[in-house]
Amino acid sequence: MIAEKQYIIPTTINEAIEKAKANAGHFKYLAGGTDVMVNRYQGNETSLCLIDITKIDELKGISKQDNYLRIGSLEILEELKFNTEIKTEFPMLIEAALSVGAPLLRKTATIGGNVLCENRCLFYNQSEWWREAVGYCLKCEGDICIATGGKNACFSELVSDTAPALIAMNAEIEFIDENGKQKQKLENIYTGDGVKPRNLSETAIVTAILLPLNKNYKTAFFKLRERESLEFTSLTSAVAVDKNGNIKIALSGVDPKPVVVEGTTSDDIQELIKKAVKSARAVENDMYSRKYRREMIAVFLEKSFAKLFE
Amino acid sequence: MQIIKLTVNNKDFSVIVEPHETLAHVLREKINLTGTKLGCEQASCGACTVFVDGKAVQSCITPALRVAGSIITTIEGIADQNKLHKLQEKFVEKGAIQCGYCTPGMIMTSLNFLEENPTPSTEEIKEALSGNLCRCTGYKKIIEAVEAYVKDEQPTNKPEEKFKMVGQSRPYIEATKKVQGSADYADDIKIKNALFCKFLRSIHPHAKIKSINTEKAIALQGVRAVITGKELPVKFGVLPISQDETAMAVDKTRYIGEIVVAVAADTEEIAAKACELITVEYQPLRPYFDMKESCEDVGENEKIHTHVKFNNNIHKKAELRFGDQKAGLETADHKVKVDYDFQGISHGFTEPHAATAWWDENGLTIITATQVPHYLHRYLAKVLEVPMSRVRVIKPYVGGGFGGKSDPFPHEIIISHLSRILGQPVKMRFSREEVFLTNHGRHPTTMSVEMGVSKDGKFQVLDADIIIDGGAYGSFGVVTSYYNGVLLQAPYKIDNFGFRTRRVYTNKPQCGAMRGHGAVNSRYAVETIIDRLANEINMDPCELRLKNFLDGNSLTVGQYRITSNGSTESLKKVMEQSNWRNKYKKLPKGHGIGVACGFFISGSALPIHWNEYPQSVVHLKVDLDGRVLVTSGASDIGQGSDTMLAIIVAEVLGLSLDHIFVVAADTTLTPIDLGSYSSRVTFMAGNAAKMAAENLKIQILEAVATIHNTDKSELNFENEKVFTNDGKVNLTWIEAIENATRKVGALNSTGYYNSPKLGGDFKGSGAGLSPSYSFGAVITEVKVDLKTGHVKVVDIWGAHDAGKALNPLAVEGQLEGSWHMGLGQAMSEQMKYHNGLLVNSNWVDYKIPTTKDTPPIHTNIIETIDPEGPFGAKECGEGAIHPVIPAVANAIFDAVGVRVTSLPINAEDVLTQMKLIKEYENINL
Repeated sequence: MIAEKQYIIPTTINEAIEKAKANAGHFKYLAGGTDVMVNRYQGNETSLCLIDITKIDELKGISKQDNYLRIGSLEILEELKFNTEIKTEFPMLIEAALSVGAPLLRKTATIGGNVLCENRCLFYNQSEWWREAVGYCLKCEGDICIATGGKNACFSELVSDTAPALIAMNAEIEFIDENGKQKQKLENIYTGDGVKPRNLSETAIVTAILLPLNKNYKTAFFKLRERESLEFTSLTSAVAVDKNGNIKIALSGVDPKPVVVEGTTSDDIQELIKKAVKSARAVENDMYSRKYRREMIAVFLEKSFAKLFE
Repeated sequence: MQIIKLTVNNKDFSVIVEPHETLAHVLREKINLTGTKLGCEQASCGACTVFVDGKAVQSCITPALRVAGSIITTIEGIADQNKLHKLQEKFVEKGAIQCGYCTPGMIMTSLNFLEENPTPSTEEIKEALSGNLCRCTGYKKIIEAVEAYVKDEQPTNKPEEKFKMVGQSRPYIEATKKVQGSADYADDIKIKNALFCKFLRSIHPHAKIKSINTEKAIALQGVRAVITGKELPVKFGVLPISQDETAMAVDKTRYIGEIVVAVAADTEEIAAKACELITVEYQPLRPYFDMKESCEDVGENEKIHTHVKFNNNIHKKAELRFGDQKAGLETADHKVKVDYDFQGISHGFTEPHAATAWWDENGLTIITATQVPHYLHRYLAKVLEVPMSRVRVIKPYVGGGFGGKSDPFPHEIIISHLSRILGQPVKMRFSREEVFLTNHGRHPTTMSVEMGVSKDGKFQVLDADIIIDGGAYGSFGVVTSYYNGVLLQAPYKIDNFGFRTRRVYTNKPQCGAMRGHGAVNSRYAVETIIDRLANEINMDPCELRLKNFLDGNSLTVGQYRITSNGSTESLKKVMEQSNWRNKYKKLPKGHGIGVACGFFISGSALPIHWNEYPQSVVHLKVDLDGRVLVTSGASDIGQGSDTMLAIIVAEVLGLSLDHIFVVAADTTLTPIDLGSYSSRVTFMAGNAAKMAAENLKIQILEAVATIHNTDKSELNFENEKVFTNDGKVNLTWIEAIENATRKVGALNSTGYYNSPKLGGDFKGSGAGLSPSYSFGAVITEVKVDLKTGHVKVVDIWGAHDAGKALNPLAVEGQLEGSWHMGLGQAMSEQMKYHNGLLVNSNWVDYKIPTTKDTPPIHTNIIETIDPEGPFGAKECGEGAIHPVIPAVANAIFDAVGVRVTSLPINAEDVLTQMKLIKEYENINL
């Protein structure tokens, strides 16, 4: 039997998970779709079944809950700027959201989709024909990493701009999987393996992002890109210092997972920066060179600390 | 499959959709609303923007099933019946529309944004439009249109301007059609029962084709034909001297992406599926990717082409020398020699290639996105082995070209062949990736250039040694080879001048002609060297240039005839406007200003095909209705040539545009024009139109004078009237036509343009000869981030001598588009390869500047009234790109002391050099 293509639009989380289980192995959840639909066009995403979760109201809304600001995973990137809580408590999230792609995309793209967006690599985000011509890399069932000329690991980059901002501000991710409702530090969902960059189970649905309140963050956010719009990141750096002097650095664009370095204001800042640079496994898979992106980590972080400590 | 209901533009539809179909596909293919355009299909250009329940979305990534039951608005639903929306009116009025392909998306995005923010600042408008790419306008007029709408500006066009033609700014004649999404581009035209063609492309850069197994593909239901290269063995190429290409690879493949098999099937999906079922066995050969390597002897290995003279991959050597360069080097007080590297550039037109072909009792008809119907006409006849009388090429509206649609293309030949064997129309359209693979863009180039100057600031010598990377086939490459060198003999007087260019074959997609053809890279080299020389002799670089400009009415060392020359005026204009004298060397560290100049041909004086047919022919016809039909083979690809022809004819006959109807670029209906390339159309087709109108005027004059017994010289043609000053004769245009058609019927006239005999008596003297040359200057201001090396261009002042601006609004649009395109090559664009495989064949990684990357542009038209141009006009579509790129590089030097010798300018390179300078300074302190 030839499996048929399906497009399913559930209206509750339970229904979505039911449908997901029924189509296990060949489905993909679709939120805004700005990432998934492009990957489908390229043939990198070929699931027969698409489960469109955008009609699930439970995934929408921004509210205060306990000591957290709870942002529904379907909240639209371009609209975060209208929320007063985010504007006053977490302006860096708005900065990060507004650095994603271009305004048109951000009107469709969701925050959940952005933290889960697929890792990218110049040698992977290509058409099926192209990948055949280059000889298929690890991320598309090939034998070696093309970008590194033969390594047995995938270095496709995490390109979310909101993830580092959220991680720097200690965000947690809330999701529902076979074990029910779960909470995790956001950075913990990223595996560091470019082939399977996240450890959420296949049918899990991200329900919300939780940001701890009353931390009084001072923040600095920078994104490396050649053009001022329409760009995936080549390096995104987010740094937050809370009222107690805890520092958290989070980077994307230079490693399959976010690079996270924590410290306090009494630490040697240069050491923190060195640690961040050292942790980043950037390879030659971007229009900027590996060397330059690594160099910019230090530059961006120095700029960040100069801003934070001025 | 599922049936969904959609309300589109206030009309209800029930549509059968596939589960994963996109909204764009449903709108274009099932509801036939083709105003929604596809430029990239990956949400990175914005051309497909529509409203879903009042919200702007990119329909190319919107699943149709998601929007079931929604209210959709497309560009076709924006005007209120025939009354344009006020924003549409402003787009028309401000000249925000050139090719028109991005226009629907621009309008939709703007409207949605303005609803949220009705009184935006310029910066906010730029931000809102920063996901919509435009390649024609440089965004300037688009932003102005949105601003004018926001301010509710009154229309600037006054009724009395109806009869003002030459020199009067006016929108394109087809602008209202384009702004409503009703202008049909090649892929918008649906021919009944058309099959769809898809191509299987080589995955090897250089390989023998051992076998092709198409059995499974042929067996697939819905597949009508599968063809391979052997069916179309006749060679072609745009230049008669470079017939080195076949429609599909025959026996061997020469680049990754070359078409190996073509499939025609009932649907696009079936054709694509069939391509997947084909297996090709290759035997790889040694590939050549590096242009220097291609200059070397290949030894035992196989050359890319057998026809090249020696055992290497050199396609063409061009060398010319004038004066005595050795002596020039000896007399020069200061000399500079620099090596440069340039990456390849894509035209980046927003409309991907598309075409439909069919055969009937009249032979072949093909509707295709082309800049040059005539050359396609010739080569379809040649490869398909039919007389030219059995081939008709029709150009619909074209979404930009910039040189990238000027060759005859394999896909055009293949679908013509398929439709012949199948007896059914066959259509195709390219994905953006296929557009990149088809290439024909600017050649990657490496060169070494040396110049010398006397201490009092006179150029003594110029010598250039250039290699250009042609890719797998010839295209316009022989011309490109010459242009890289010969177009350096102006705008400065240099008596000791010489160059050598080698164009090599490599196993990459072929390069060809692109805006500013051939001379963009070498101009960059010369203008940045002049900046170095100015620095060495401690002279202001503007002063140095002013001292060396050629005079008007002079000859260059290679015997180009310079007539009108606005170099000095152009440069002085931008110096004054930019406040050059108070800024150069006076801005704070990291902030700089730079200058460069340029020049270009107004069409080639020598045609590609050696015959005595005129370069342009225009026919006019007028009948009792008084409407003048203008027929011309000139191709309007968004640059406004249809409007230009109408203006010229109306000017001569004293008409408004209401009486003009232009039919262009249909090889059966229109006389031959050599096409829209080398900036020839205004000069050549414009002159032909002027002559045709004058000839028509003579016929009318004679009839009216005879009937009214008056002297011909007494008659005036103005404001749609034919009259004598004494009032004895006072006819309306219609009455005059009634007079003139008595007993003879409809009037016809013809006009043509032949270039005068020009140039010297030596081999290669024809290259770059033109009846007229344009001149120009650009100053840019930049800011360099001292920590990251990132360069931001903050202002562009440009001036261009266009002879006479027939339609200043259109001329400004050409200049702004050129400067914006140059900015892209300077700052962010490049075709990046990995072992012959293009890595960035999409608009995320091939980086055309967005609105936010485009600084304020200050546009100045310089008018010098060319003695031979129509009403004094000359080129304005290409020359302006030359000076902008080196002007940016020179500004970087002023800002941080760094000399950029490779393009695109790369933050990393700037940063590295800044560090070296710092180290050097520390050592010397």
